[in-house]
Amino acid sequence: MIRVAAVGDIHMGPDSQGLLRPAFDTLPDCADLLLLAGDLTRHGTPEEARVVAQEVRGLPVPVVAVLGNHDHHDEQPEKVTGILQEAGVAVLEGEGAVLECGGTRVGVAGTKGFGGGFVGRSAGEFGEPLMKEFVRYTRRSADALRTALEDLGRQDCEVRVALTHFSPVADTLAGEPPEIYPFLGSYLLAEAIDTAGADLSVHGHAHAGTEHGMTAGGVRVRNVAQPVIRRAFNVYQLHTS
Amino acid sequence: MTEPAAEQAGTGGAAHAEENVEYRVAHLRDRLAAEELGELGVRAEIRAGAVVVSGTVPSAQCRETLLRTVHEALAGLAVHTDVVVADNASPDHAEELS
Repeated sequence: MIRVAAVGDIHMGPDSQGLLRPAFDTLPDCADLLLLAGDLTRHGTPEEARVVAQEVRGLPVPVVAVLGNHDHHDEQPEKVTGILQEAGVAVLEGEGAVLECGGTRVGVAGTKGFGGGFVGRSAGEFGEPLMKEFVRYTRRSADALRTALEDLGRQDCEVRVALTHFSPVADTLAGEPPEIYPFLGSYLLAEAIDTAGADLSVHGHAHAGTEHGMTAGGVRVRNVAQPVIRRAFNVYQLHTS
Repeated sequence: MTEPAAEQAGTGGAAHAEENVEYRVAHLRDRLAAEELGELGVRAEIRAGAVVVSGTVPSAQCRETLLRTVHEALAGLAVHTDVVVADNASPDHAEELS
């Protein structure tokens, strides 16, 4: 059995230092790894990233993260990534990481993802260049996620988890205004997950959404935005064959 | 002829005032995103003549800043707030996915 702890949208700033660390210090008792589902900062500044880095530095479980839209706001995502990596966090963007957890190979494929909406109510790759690029950006994220999940399968991972910031399904957005769903996720991410296969999909971004959902292909989806789960993190136990 | 014109002007004025509240709420949301909070997750909606601001923020300091900004931006309007600080406790159980 693998115990996956996950949280997103912790939105740390200078006044946040130490708020989550006491809970994170309990991780070895209840989880084998910690996933951070983006929006770790408020504006994506190096100063805020250092607060996050300090909060997870030296944790005795592996920490894997994707960035969120807030982490891009200051237009220094590479710097934010570097600061987190220096603290031992594996920051994924269109790639996978293999972790050895108690003798089990766990693969995590991660991308921030992007919007576009869901089947029947989605943006199309048509018209103005900005509109086409909007959809192409999401498509590139989804393609990279699918490739990363497939690679993890070839590396004999017994458990595969898809980690995104934007949502792959509409289920976990319930509670948000339907009009903004296209800005909260895309079915292209779910299609990638279903095509490659995964045991669990974890995302954040939708603060007013719902925790539980499922892709059309039957993969469990969990929205772990902190305002949704109302805890420092949630833990999901996955059984291995 | 005078009466209908006056009525029309009155209706237009009322609609204009209502629009102003909507725009003020929209500008509040822009301000919450743009200023120090970088806050996109808080909802501000007009309900029964008042503005309801609700959501979860990451710290007590953020909540203070948010409420100050809301009351500044919506001065003169009836405002109800339901803003909570994120709970940073560990979970007391795990979800088993079989």
